[in-house]
Order: sequence, then C-alpha cells, then structure tokens
Amino acid sequence: MRKILLTIFSCVLSLYAVAQEGAVQEKKVTGKVTSFEDGSTLPGVNVVVKGTTIGTATDGNGVFSITVPENATLVFSFIGLQTKEVEIGARTTSVDVVLASDISQLNEVVVVGYGTQERKEITGSVTSVSAKDLENLIAPSFDTQLGGRAAGVQVTTPGGVIGQRPIVRIRGVNSLTSSADPLYVIDGVPVVTSDRSSIISTNPLANINPSDIQSYEVLKDGSATAIYGSRAANGVILITTKRGSKGKSSINYSGSVGFSENVDRFDLLNGDQFVTIANEKRSNSGGTALAVAGENTDWQDYIFRKGFVQQHNVSFSGGTETSTYFFSLGYTDQQSSVVKNDMERYSFRANLDQKVGTRLKLGTSLSYTYTQINGLNNGANSLSGAIYNATRSLPNVAIFDPANVEYDGYNTTADGAALGRGNNLANVDNNIPNIAFVLDHNKNRNRNNRVLGSVYADLEIAEGLSARTQIGVDLTLPDDFRSWDPRHGDGRGTTGNVFQAYNPAYRWNWQNTLNYQKSINDVHNFNITAGVEYQKTTFSGFNGSGTGLADRFFLQQNLISNSYINQFSGGSFSERGFESYFGRLNYNYNDKYLVSISARNDAISDLYKDNRSGFFPGASVGWRISQEEFFTSTLISDFKLRASYAELGNVEIGTLPYAGGYSAVLYGPSNGIALTQVTNLPLEWETSKKFNVGLNLTLGRVTFEADYFTTKIDNMVLNAPVAPSLGVPPSNAIAQNVGSMKNSGIELRVSSRVLERGEFSWNTDFNFTLIKNEVTNLINPLSSTYNRTEVGRSIGELYGYRWAGVNEANGNPMYYKADGSIVQYNLSLASANRGWKTYDPNDHANVSTASSLTSGDLAFLGRTLPTWSGGWTNTFSYKHFDLEIFTRYSGGNYIMNETKRLLLGQGFSNNHADILNRWTEAGQNTDIPKVFSGQDANMWQTGNANSRFVQKGDFVRIQNIVLGYRVPSTVLDKISKGNVKSARVIAQVQNPFTFTGYDGLDPELNQYSDQLQYGVDWNAAPIIRTYSLGLNVGF
Amino acid sequence: MKIKFINKVVGMAALFGAMTGCSLTDVEPADRILDGVDGATAINTAGRVKTAVIGVYEAAQRGYYQGAVDRGYPFGAAATEQGDMRGEDMYNDQAFFEITYTNAWTPTTANNVAMWAGLYRVINRANIVLAAIDNAVATGIITETLGNNYRSEVLFLRALSHHEALIHFSRPFSGAPDSYGVPYRTSPIDGTDDIAGGLEAGRGTVASAYAALLKDLDDAERFAPTTGAASSDPVAFTVTPYFANKNAIIALKTRVKLHMRDWAGVITEYDKIKTAYQLMPTPEGPFVNWTSTEAVFSMQNSAISNPGTNASLANMYGNPDFKARGLVKVSPVIWRSAFWVDGDLRKTTLTTSNANGVFSHKYRRYTINDDATPLIRFAEVILNAAEAYARQGDLTTAVTLVNQVRDRAIPASTPSYTEASLGDQNGVLTAIWNERRIEFLAEGRRWADIHRLAGEGLLTGVPSKAQSRSVTAIAQYSAGGRLVLDHPLLYTNDLFVWPIPLDETLNNPTLAAQQNKGY
Repeated sequence: MRKILLTIFSCVLSLYAVAQEGAVQEKKVTGKVTSFEDGSTLPGVNVVVKGTTIGTATDGNGVFSITVPENATLVFSFIGLQTKEVEIGARTTSVDVVLASDISQLNEVVVVGYGTQERKEITGSVTSVSAKDLENLIAPSFDTQLGGRAAGVQVTTPGGVIGQRPIVRIRGVNSLTSSADPLYVIDGVPVVTSDRSSIISTNPLANINPSDIQSYEVLKDGSATAIYGSRAANGVILITTKRGSKGKSSINYSGSVGFSENVDRFDLLNGDQFVTIANEKRSNSGGTALAVAGENTDWQDYIFRKGFVQQHNVSFSGGTETSTYFFSLGYTDQQSSVVKNDMERYSFRANLDQKVGTRLKLGTSLSYTYTQINGLNNGANSLSGAIYNATRSLPNVAIFDPANVEYDGYNTTADGAALGRGNNLANVDNNIPNIAFVLDHNKNRNRNNRVLGSVYADLEIAEGLSARTQIGVDLTLPDDFRSWDPRHGDGRGTTGNVFQAYNPAYRWNWQNTLNYQKSINDVHNFNITAGVEYQKTTFSGFNGSGTGLADRFFLQQNLISNSYINQFSGGSFSERGFESYFGRLNYNYNDKYLVSISARNDAISDLYKDNRSGFFPGASVGWRISQEEFFTSTLISDFKLRASYAELGNVEIGTLPYAGGYSAVLYGPSNGIALTQVTNLPLEWETSKKFNVGLNLTLGRVTFEADYFTTKIDNMVLNAPVAPSLGVPPSNAIAQNVGSMKNSGIELRVSSRVLERGEFSWNTDFNFTLIKNEVTNLINPLSSTYNRTEVGRSIGELYGYRWAGVNEANGNPMYYKADGSIVQYNLSLASANRGWKTYDPNDHANVSTASSLTSGDLAFLGRTLPTWSGGWTNTFSYKHFDLEIFTRYSGGNYIMNETKRLLLGQGFSNNHADILNRWTEAGQNTDIPKVFSGQDANMWQTGNANSRFVQKGDFVRIQNIVLGYRVPSTVLDKISKGNVKSARVIAQVQNPFTFTGYDGLDPELNQYSDQLQYGVDWNAAPIIRTYSLGLNVGF
Repeated sequence: MKIKFINKVVGMAALFGAMTGCSLTDVEPADRILDGVDGATAINTAGRVKTAVIGVYEAAQRGYYQGAVDRGYPFGAAATEQGDMRGEDMYNDQAFFEITYTNAWTPTTANNVAMWAGLYRVINRANIVLAAIDNAVATGIITETLGNNYRSEVLFLRALSHHEALIHFSRPFSGAPDSYGVPYRTSPIDGTDDIAGGLEAGRGTVASAYAALLKDLDDAERFAPTTGAASSDPVAFTVTPYFANKNAIIALKTRVKLHMRDWAGVITEYDKIKTAYQLMPTPEGPFVNWTSTEAVFSMQNSAISNPGTNASLANMYGNPDFKARGLVKVSPVIWRSAFWVDGDLRKTTLTTSNANGVFSHKYRRYTINDDATPLIRFAEVILNAAEAYARQGDLTTAVTLVNQVRDRAIPASTPSYTEASLGDQNGVLTAIWNERRIEFLAEGRRWADIHRLAGEGLLTGVPSKAQSRSVTAIAQYSAGGRLVLDHPLLYTNDLFVWPIPLDETLNNPTLAAQQNKGY
C-alpha cells in the first residue's frame, strides 16, 4: 500500500518541488533516499530545508537534488516513514539517507472491506501483516507463514506433508461443526478455499503466489468484519496483490534455493532390540519366539530425505500518468522431507489499472496458476501410510532383496502380500507392505489450474461520489490421478488400481458499490459506502477408475482406455448462491471522535426460503484522546480508545442442510434410493455477537495496542448428534440450531525501535494473545475417540482414562477409577486370571479381586486449544547487514500422543525405543508395563485418550532466522553501470529450533483439523526445517 | 451524455440485480430427491416405492463404519467376520480383528459401535419406507396387495436386524429372557419432532423383543407373495436369495424359534419349506453358485457396491496366494478336532492353505469382492430342524437330517451317523452342533450358537481359542503341532454381551440407565 501512496504523493510533491526551484542559490546537495527495511529506493520523499519552505522530492529512483544555504539541516519525510533530519556540513555535497518505517503507522492506509481507511481513523481491530516479512520465505502457501505475525491469529502446521493446509483460527474457534476457517478475500473477491482433490490434501491457497502479495489485513473484531456480514464470524483475511505505480518501469527478480529436512525422527528399536522385545512379548503371553536376528534397518532412512527447494519470481511494474501495470511470473519447486512428496507451481499475474478521462478508472487483476502436487498417502491408519508403515516395519529385515526380481528387487513375501519377513517366523502385523516399494511405485498426483480474476470500473459521478463495479471469478480446475501397482501394496488386492477425478469449482462474484466522501468545514468527515453483492458457486465433479490391470505400463499418467477390466465412475454436484445488500457509514469529528456503523442483509441458498435472509449490524466508536486540546503530553504522540459491537453469521454450514431427501444408493447391482437427510425447515442463521474494546498508544519510540474481546455464538448451526439407535440419516446427526459458545481474550502488541546507534539499529515487535473458550449450551456432549465437548468446558477437550502407573510387583498397567481407587489389568499367563483386578496399595501383588474399568471412569484430561500464543520479531541492522529473528510461541493446551501409544503396541511390529524400559522384574519402577502379545487394547485403553500419553503442548519456536546483506548502491553502480538498482542476498533458516517439553516429534503435529477432534498427534509426518539462500535484484 | 451513460449503467445493474436476485438463492439439490420441503413427497411413483424398498437392503448390506459407508455392517461381510471372531473356529492372525478375538471391547470399540448403528440404520430406514408404502397405498400409487408384498420384505429386514442386535447386545433368550432386550423400533424417525418419542423407548426384555420380531415375521409371511419378492420384480416376482421371499421369512423363523427353544415351532416352520429348497450335491455348490437351490437369503454385492478391501469376505478370509489379505484363518482348534474328518469335502474343496496356515475357500471373488454374503442357507434350516427333533427326542429324524448335510461332504470311507454311533440324545445334539461348526465355518454363525447354548448352560461361554497371532505355520494344523489356547470368556463374565455404545448412552438417557452390566 505504501508504494501506491508513494507514487501518488511523488506526483504532487514534484510539482511542489518545481515551484521551489531556483529560489536561493547557495550550494547544491544531491543524494539518494532508500528504505531501511529492504534497501529499495524511495520515490517522492519530501526533502525540505529545516525552517524554510525550500524543498524538493526524490524522483522515481529515489534521487534528489536541492540547493541549500550554508549550515542547513535537511528534513526527510514521508507518510508512513520516520522523519529524519540531517545536518549539511560545510563541504557536504552528497547525502544518502535511509528512512525507516514509522512504527506508529498512523497515516498508513489500510484495506478494509470494500474500501480503504487510514489507520488513525480505524475503530475496529485490524492488523496488517507486511508481505515483505514473508516473501522470501520458502513455503507452499502464504497462510502457513501468518502464525505469530498478528495477535489473535493462530496458525498451526499440523504436519510436514506438502499440500496439507494449516489450521488458521482468528480469535479462537468460533464454530463447532460448521467451518471455523476465516474468509479470504483477494483483491476484493472472496475465494473458494475448499480442497477439491479427492485423493490427497491440497491447500487451495497454495495456488496463490506469495510473492505477488503486497499486504495482508486481518480483520478480527465485529466492526472490522461486519461489512462481510454472514461470512465473517471466523474473521477475514484481506489480501491485496501488488500493482504498478507511475514512474520508471522496474524489473525485480527474487529467488531462493535450499533444502528441507525433517526436524526430528522417531526413536525406534533397531533390529536386535526388536528381536528381544518381540520375543519377550511372546514369551510373556505363552507364545513362542517369532523374531530372529537379522539386519538392523532404520526405515526412516528410506522415507526421509533432504528435499531440494527453489523458487524464482520475476516481476515487471511501472506506469504512466494514466496507466499502471504489474506483471509477474513465478516458479517454485519444493520437495518435502518425505520422499515422493513435492510441489511445483507456475504462476502468472497481470494487474492493470487505466484512467479514462478524469473520472473513470478501469482495471483488472488476473492470475493464473498451475500447481502440481505429488502427494503422499500418510493415512494415520493406512497400511501404506508412510509414517505409519515406516515406524512399524520390521527393523530386522532388509529393505531390498535383489533376488526378488518379480518385485523389482524389494523385499516382499513371495506372494507379495506383505513386507518380507527375513529370518522371522511370521509376517509383520497386518501384512503391511514394503513402504519403499509403495513409495516408489504408487502415484498420488493433483494438478490444478486456478484462475483468479476480476475487472472493475470506478467512476467519479460527482465530487466525492463514486460508483464502482467489480466482477470476479475464481475457477479451480483440479485433476487428480492416482495409480497403485498391481503387485504389492494397496493395488495388490484389486490387481492394480487407477483413479482419475476432475472436481472443478466455479465462482463468480459481482459487487456494486457507491461511495460518498464529504468533509464539512474540515471537521465533519463522512465516508458512506452502500452496495450489493451477488455470488454463485458451483461445485461439481466426476471420476473414473479401473481395477484389474495386467500391464503396469498403463499406470503412468492417465486413465488409458481398455487397460483395465473393471470400470467405475462417479460424480457429484452442488450449488450455492449468495445475495447481499450492505452499507457503511464512517464519520469522524475533527479526527477526534470516530464512528463507524455498518449493516448487511445476506441471503444464502443453504437455508429454507423463510429463514434465508439474515441481518448483520455492527457499530464502533473511537476517541483519539491525543487530539484533544487538554491532552498536552509530549511523551504520548497518539492515544486512541476504541469500542465495537457487531452481529455476524456463518455461511459455511454445508450445502442445503435443511432440505431432506432421498439419494441414490446401490444394493449390489440394484438401484435403490434412501432417505439420506431429514428435512429441518426451521434451520436458521446462527449469530455471532462480537464485542471489542481496545486502545492504541504511541509513547515515544514505543507503540502499544491492546484489545479485549468477547464473542458469543448463539443458536449455533450444529450437526447435533442423535442417538444411533434412532437411525437418523445420514450419520446420526441433524443440523439444528442448538448450542452456544463464548470466546473471550486479550490481545497485546508492543513494537519499538529499541536501539539506534550510528549504523546499528534494533527493532522489536511483540504480540501476545490470551484466549478462553467455553461452550455454554449444548443438548448433549459431543464425543469422539479422544475428545469430548461439554458445557462449561472448552471445545474438544481430551477425554479418556487416567493412568495410574505400572504395578511394580507384577508389571500390570494400572488406571484410576472415578472414585480414585486403582485397578490393574492382570497380564497373567493363565487366561482365567486375566482381566481387571483391584489394586491393593498395601499388597501390590494381590490380584485376587475382580474389578472393572468402565465408561464411568472416563475423565477430562486437558484442553486441546492453546490459551496463549503470539510472536516476537526482532530485526537488527548494521551497515548493510540485517538480521531478523522471528519467534513464535503457544501453549496452555494438551496433546494426546497417539503416535507414541501405538508405537508401544504389543503386536509383531516395531516399537518406540521407550519400550526398552518395560517392566521385567518385581520391584522395578517404570512407566511401561510388562510386554504382552496382543494386549494393546487392555494395556493402553486404545479406544479412548489415555492420560499416560497426554502432555502439555507449550512451545517456543524460533520460526525463522533471516540474514540479509544489501549490496551498497555505490558498488552496484560501479558493477552494473547503474543498471541494477538494488541487490540483496539472504541466508535463512526456517524452523531451526523449538523449545518444548512435549516428547513427540513436534507440539503442533495434529491428525485432525476439525474443531471437535483436536490435539491428537497420530502418525503425522514431522514438520520441515528449511535452509535456503536467496537473492533479490531490482533493475 | 455522461449522465445518460451513468443512468444506463445503474439501470442495468439494478435490472441484473433484480434478475439474479430472485433466482440466486433458489437452489435445489441435484443429488437428492426432495422430501418434506414445500410438500414434496419423494416416493411418488410405483418405481420409487420399489427403489426405496431396495434402499433398505442397501442399509443392511453396507452400513456406516466410523462415519463412512464401508465394511459391510451389519450384514454385508463385517458382521460375518465379527460372528466368527467372537467364536473359536476361525482364528485372528493379525491386529485387525484382535479386539473382538481377545474380548477386549469397550463401549467405544469401533466394531460394536458400527454394528449397533448399522442395525438401527436398517431399522429406521425400514420404518421410513413402511410409512412411505402406507402413503403410496393410500394415495393409489400402488395397490394394497403390492404394498403388502413390499411390506413383507421390509418387515423381514426389520425383524432380522432386531434379532442380530439381540444376539450381540443382550443376554440370550435361552438364559435370561427377562433381562434387557433392545429397543424394538416400529415408527419412523425422520425429523427433529420424532426424536423425543424415540428416546422414550427402553430396552424392554429379551422376551418382549422376541415377541415383537416374531410378530413382524408372521406379518411378513402373511403379506408376502406366494413366490418371489416384489422388489426383485413387482410383476414377475422373481425368486432370488437376494430379496426376501416368503420362504426366507419362514426360514428365519426356524432360526428365531431355535433361539427361543420353541422346538415345535422350529419344526412347524421347517415343514412349510422343506421341499422348497434343496441341498446342492456338494458343499462347494452354494459357493460356486450363489443363487443355488440351497441359497435362502444372502446379501448381494457387486464390484462397485461391496464391503471393500477392509471387510470383503474373499479379502479377509482368502489365501494370500490369491491376492487376498488373509487376515483371518481357519483355526487349528476346529481343523484338528476329531469330528472333522480328513477327506471331508469341506476341508478339501472349501479351504486352501499356504505355509502359514489354512484359509477358507468359500469366497473366491478375489480382487473383485462381489461374493454374495450368505445369511441363511438351507443347510442351516435343516440343522435347525435336526436340533429341534433331537431336542424333542425324535433322534431318528434328527440323525437323518444331520446326515443330509454331512453325507454330501464326508469321504466314502467315513460312515454316516446313526443313532447308535452317536449314543444318546446328547450325542446326537453334539453331532448337530459340531456339524454346524463345520458347515458354517467362515459364515459368521458361530457366535449365535455360542450365545444361545451358553445361555442354556450347555457351554460355559466362549470356548478357548488358539491364542491370537500364535498360529504362524501350517505344521500347527497337524496333530501334535503347537497349539496355545487362550481368550476364553465365561457366560458369567460381563463381557459376554457387547456394551451399548457410548454414543448411544451419551445421547439417550433412557438407554444410559439401561447399559449392560460392567460397562
């Protein structure tokens, strides 16, 4: 945004400069003004001789020339930048100045819904994230990098598979079964964010080239979001892409290359340890030894790698008085740290703006992206899931068996049913396949063509009154291809399996707005916006698949006719319409008293016609105390109080949840129909009432921002569970308006230029969020395997049995009953003595009294939602070097380490090395029971969470360390003869360190992304650390 | 000029807004036929009555497993596997069925949750379709007679589902007829208004549930066409085991009455259909020809509609040599038992082996997974009758009947059973029970027999099994091979019946108060 302003102002100021030329002629001073943050040259900076009206402005290359009297002081200033004064000595003829951004950013223009506003006038809670902070980072999508950048925005990267989308929550979780994701609006057009791949996870936001993005605005409170009405309950992220500016054209290249690696690995048994443990499980349970010493294989060596990453972007921008342009080309190729998982993206953007005459402005934003993701089967429970399989595969067998020619030299059983057993006497549990064969032979590919485009026309009808129309489209054209080798792995059971799908999403969005701005006597300032918005989204899809492939040749790229004997097809269709009328009034009195009122009436096709329309009002007020006459503090330069209230809704309630009907079903080869949804006509809008008070304060070099907020969601559209014995379709739940919930919290942000000594400076920017979630009303608790949501608690708390340790007398696992007494599962060799027994604290060996562990003994084991989180950016600069250290932290939540529990399994597959601590003799104090073949369910209570594996999820992560060097312009000029305007080299490491007490691989790993099931680390791929070197060059 | 242009733009915008405004939010689904919205009735043609009835079979064939249609609960295949894994004659080779095999279930175990939910999904779908049939008859869409024909099939499925629920979730009629049954649901739940009423129904007693299901079966028998089933073809009434006809309904009654120890009743029902079916000449017959003269009622699967690789019978039970997963083997417990003689065709033609053990060869559509799931075979009806005769002391008829099933399988060198060779009534009954174990191996019937016989005290509970994952070599099938026994479950143990799932007790206060003991 700053760039645009710079351009506009440079135009004005150069006229001013021309007028001043030749006034006094004493001495000529020339120089260049550059940005502190990125070294780019700054056009349009105001250069004035202090105490005079003598002044000029920098040109398009940041160069100025001014004639000044002796012993003058030059003042360099520009909106959004810190003003700098430079004394001109007697002999000085050249001054290069570096301007840093003004941290208070009062005049910064912020994009809000359907318009812009100056920061000082904002009465809602809006946080801007500069794209500059993110653009050199290597990431599959921009959203993964937003975490910690703004108070109130939590972003969790749940695993290290490329394509997986991060979990983004603004001010907590604001829905139970509807979507909790924010609304993303790119250049004014709300974009489709549903994953349209049917085989792998693909993040639709990965179709946006991060380096095309100019700024991110996060709208958090009711007032800021109210203009988006029904779509804004989960917050809004507004994205503005780069546009050209008037002046000399510029060409910029930015690129990085590097590699990614997994941050950590599982500590598994080696082959020899496995033999000991596996046979001890057997002997303890009365079986015979199955494991026989062989190799020492770490399957992780095969599935993990250092993945190569690179990204290159070229942009061209510039413009004339009447037209501006921005074109970009982008390419990225990122390999994850798990083999066979990578992403390639080619992107193109053209943003054009054209003035026609004096009153009409036309423009377009157009981007096309081609993204290919080679995904991974990482199903937590899939036999061919990379992590599941590699951590369970027998460590005492080899990966390859050159003699096994039929299976390309991979080690498999002779029939191909399972991983080869080596010297062992049995196959690995569940006949899991050789993961190396699977990864090397099966394909999971998604190719997506995405077009995001809009055109607008902006007409100034009369002074202050303008009309704007904008039509946007969002096309997602994804092509899935999956093939499974017929010999081994998932394809074996069907003699090969090939699947292809096309699931396009089409959206058009049309907005018409009228805007009127009026200032009366310079004290009464009005800004009124009114508009209509229409939107239609169509999701459709079809797929074809085949099984029974004799020849593997045909599994490479696409379905090939006649290559398979069994053919299948499928398809789906749904549509959603949206229609809205809205208005907003912003008024301020002398920049002192600020009021904003907005209202919106939205209708969606997903509700029955009688309840289709919803009204969503919002209002906010602000008081800039620092503008008052009585406010005379010289220390405090800005002080604003804000308050807001709004009612919002959530449109992501599923397609036509009110409309019951019969769907097609197949009973074998016979056509049937069945009631798959019951009708519930009274279903209506849920309301989300958001209240916010906040203040902004600038105190010398420190700016301070604080907010307190509450969100109350009532009449929630909840997929309310119904007792299964009622057999209600489709899956024992009916969408109903039941339940309410409350989120409240505090957000703080402090930023400061801590130190500025000569050529060294240190800036810091710290944010902190405290948030509390409480479910205040429900008909019945909502439960799943690990989690339960109940009134009076936060969403999705862990729920399970309470571990009481290992009985040191006999190695039995013990659990607490509800009454606080302890029971043990007697792992007796004699089956008649097996089962639950009471534990006698005075006689540990006594297993004579039968007892039980029942669902009445289940208990809450910890909340899964973090209660505190934030980020901390420190930027240091010395001469031409700059260093940014970005730290992110979060905590207050608990994690169920299901990965660990399952790796302590009692079957014939590999274990976590912790199992070496198992109980082996009376009197031994340990937290691993006696090993016992086949007793997973009783030992670990696998059907529920277990406090033995529940741990705190607190962490502090050094997210990024970025070291930059700006090639001095003198050097550049010398080398390139003025052709290269700027050059910066960067060395960075993303995700270098994490400090946490959690003993899994990473405290953010999460199997589930929905709200009700959360905080479960279950065979997720370790997250990625990336090292890279980058180069930015401007021509 | 400019003003005019603006007017045009604004005018067009308003017009377009008005045009799209009224239609934009009027969206109807393309993937479901509306029912109950603005008076729409989905079942408004004779064709849709038929397809709605077929929809009830679909619920039986493929129910929900953890939220997705998969695995063939409650009758498609998963139920067969659960029935076998609760018994001792099939053996769990992998972690897959370990919880069931080792009696380690809890109210959240996915299998029993899916079974419960799947059965009541059939039941409610049946009730919804019964109401739709009533409406179709009342509005003249179909005739009363045809309506009754359809009703008979739906009532049959409703009764079958309740019976299966009783076998898994309640104590047996033979042991505790006055203990908790299962809610017998007869009215549709198809809207929020129906929920409260549905939640009022308690479990009643086992006896009352049996009475209700027998009434359904009697009505079904009365309503059924003389031959065939309306949903297979409402004109020709084609006879096929995939749709319930009158004889299938009667056959189910022999099973139900056997559980009720109504021996005379079993024989009465048997007599009605004893000539309607014929055993195939060899035991392999019904598995080579799924619609043979011996098939009474089966679930039909197809390549596209089947229980999937995670449950299909061929995949779970088949020999890995044939690309099956082979997670369940024939147990050495029955293989090595004296009553299953070597050379029995059920050993030689209905099993295969590899180095790791013996696998069932009843289901052979490996990689396609469309084997029919046999639910009632005539062999069972015969053995039901044989037991009823034996119980009543008519050992001669009993022996004749059991020999019908056995003689087609045993080698020429093995003599047929005689009253004399079997000794007394107990000997005859034991022979019949053993014959059931052999004949229905890998058909999921074992649990039902354990359930009723343990209730009578004829078994102490679930007999010991080959220890889970202890059978790793074919040598263990030979006499003298290593056999570790484990996992017995006494009838008196609370685990003997499955718990009401936690999802149910959380959302249903009535059943929360009626949970099975010990859970």
